[in-house]
Amino acid sequence: MEDGKANKTIGGMPDTVFELVIDFLHDERDRDAVSLVCRRWYEIDKTTRKHVTIALCYTTTPQSLWRRFQHLESLKLKGKPRAAMFNLIPEDWGGYVSPWVEEIARSFSCLNALHFRRMIVTDLDLELLAQSRGQVLQILKLDKCSGFSTDGLLHIGRSCKKLKTLFLEESSIIEKGGEWLHELALNNNVLETLNFYMTYLAKVRFQDLELIARNCRSLVSMKISECELLDLVGFFGTASVLEEFGGGSIGEQPERYSSESYCSLSFPPKLCSLGLTYMGRNEMPIVFPFASLLRRLDLLYAFLDMEDHCLLIHRCPNLEVLETRNVIGDRGLEVLAQCCKRLRRLRIERGEDEEGMEDEEGLVSHRGLIALAQGCLELEYIAVYVTDITNASLQYIGTYLKNLCDFRLVLLDRQETIADLPLDNGVRVLLQGCYKLKRFAFYLRQGALTDVGLSYVGQYSLNVRWMLLGSVGESDAGLLALSKGCPRLQKLEMRACCFSERALAIAALQLPSLRYLWVQGYRASETASDLLAMARPFWNIELIPARRVVSPNANGQDVIVDHPAHILAYYSLAGQRTDFPNTVLPLDAVALLNT
Amino acid sequence: MSRSAVELDFFRMEKESAGKPQQPKKLFDRRRSFRDIQSVISKMNPEILKSVIATGSVENGNLLASKPKDDDPFLSPALPLLSAPAFGNRVSGTTSLTIFYNGTISVFDVSLNKAENILKLAAENVSKTVDSDLPLTRGKSLERFLQKRKER
Repeated sequence: MEDGKANKTIGGMPDTVFELVIDFLHDERDRDAVSLVCRRWYEIDKTTRKHVTIALCYTTTPQSLWRRFQHLESLKLKGKPRAAMFNLIPEDWGGYVSPWVEEIARSFSCLNALHFRRMIVTDLDLELLAQSRGQVLQILKLDKCSGFSTDGLLHIGRSCKKLKTLFLEESSIIEKGGEWLHELALNNNVLETLNFYMTYLAKVRFQDLELIARNCRSLVSMKISECELLDLVGFFGTASVLEEFGGGSIGEQPERYSSESYCSLSFPPKLCSLGLTYMGRNEMPIVFPFASLLRRLDLLYAFLDMEDHCLLIHRCPNLEVLETRNVIGDRGLEVLAQCCKRLRRLRIERGEDEEGMEDEEGLVSHRGLIALAQGCLELEYIAVYVTDITNASLQYIGTYLKNLCDFRLVLLDRQETIADLPLDNGVRVLLQGCYKLKRFAFYLRQGALTDVGLSYVGQYSLNVRWMLLGSVGESDAGLLALSKGCPRLQKLEMRACCFSERALAIAALQLPSLRYLWVQGYRASETASDLLAMARPFWNIELIPARRVVSPNANGQDVIVDHPAHILAYYSLAGQRTDFPNTVLPLDAVALLNT
Repeated sequence: MSRSAVELDFFRMEKESAGKPQQPKKLFDRRRSFRDIQSVISKMNPEILKSVIATGSVENGNLLASKPKDDDPFLSPALPLLSAPAFGNRVSGTTSLTIFYNGTISVFDVSLNKAENILKLAAENVSKTVDSDLPLTRGKSLERFLQKRKER
């Protein structure tokens, strides 16, 4: 075999062998391991690595990324802490894509897929991206981003003719018009996925959606903002290979509303993933003809009560993914357990707390969880808000759900007395049983998990990489016990706990794999000096001091909301960042101010 | 919680009585003792504190060293008694806070606010305060959806 590198060998085998083999390794941890074997393998990984995810954009620099991975084809960057999704982080916290886009425009000639999550993107960034990479960009995801307008999207629509995926879900976009969609429709005929779900863009024209469907014969997924569903008849008629639809709006214009008109809607034949915003009991039957084909169902923004859920779920034996609110109730979960044996992912969000707004029976408790554990054995992901819980239900989960990789439970404060607390034993059995668990969230209340319970969490969460703990433990001893375990824990988030700064610092030092820590609600010292115990090279510590923010309350009135302080700490090879807003302080400054 | 009597010498009484030359008593390093006292209070059984504060009577602006309801012999010596007089020095917005502890009496001049905070802190469980300051939050989209539903 003749090729330029034939004279380089390792252990008698030419490099080419390893280069071919390494192509089969996609998992980033495998790649990481390979790159540590020897210099030559490091070099081979360097030139062949196709995708990199940077979990926090401040851990490295665009230039460092370029120096190592010049042939990168796909990049995912994350910015703001997860708490930003719950309005807890100041808008200008940081996470600007500009330095990255500038480097991408300059250097990364192979890059064709970009995913920015919780970052600040400007119209200028989008213009630069469109100009420099427009001809090759295939995937662009602006995921929960902010800072740009539809003008920025105009550049994308005009220049990115090879774009197969445009994903904008939950981004805060300043709307100046609907021409961006029209430009996209005119210039693109390879679009497969278009998502501007939950962006509240109101000026999109349904005619442009139809045009996209006509021009892009490979369109398989479309999720849009609130556009009257009745206007989409033409769209549904044209998008013949569509498999996924989400959004739209039912009954937005009362004068056109009559349940008969919705019944005349016919959907594309391959549709297997659906979520219709504001769908109520009267419109539910439009789904029945193809309910047995449905693999994914989004009822988060529907107007269904518990009975409706039971009726609908009963008809969906092939359901793999369900997202809804806790109005599904225990009875709905029992129906799910009976009928949907293929269920892999279940997300149950917190509905309205106010009395009379939701179905009174629409509450999820240990009863529903027990049924679920026994009925849906293929579950990999559960996120649920419960009003009541027992140790037994957690034990059932640990016993039956062996495929569980991601478990998130929040105990609502609706019910004052929870009979079966603390949950120490339940969580122990759950963690022991669900040995594949990588992500774990447990948000409780005072007294629901003792220090002993926390020690169990440390002892038995052998594979967990991300953890969110809320209102757990009784004292610092609990946190210290936790931090003696959790061998693989990389990212720890804690809220409303009673731990002191000193304990937090020690825990951060003890947890062997920890690279990211976020805490809100802890026992602060006067000067935050106790936190300095965890100061060390490459470890950035930031504080968001307590703030008072004016924001509208449930009635739309402006009220002053107290935001307690946050601690954010993370490993970084880039040193302290230089783009702090005035709401965020690096710890060194804080220490200086108080001496 | 330990049942044996805990002696906390905030004001270095022992050191002084151990024969060191009498330094002009700077009374105390106010901030440090305050924090020490705070941390001691936070470790005490709140129920006991509540009963002491409740049974105490306010006379001449000071709580008399009244016995706590419990006749438990272990509790009396370890308990400091707190009082915040209803009528006190209104000089520059501060009133006097008297603490009876283990045979010693200390008086602080603190603002009414601070005194109330100390008493509140003693009566409450520390973590409860943290909980109520941090309500559960919802995702933005869901919050917006629930808002919109009310309007429909």
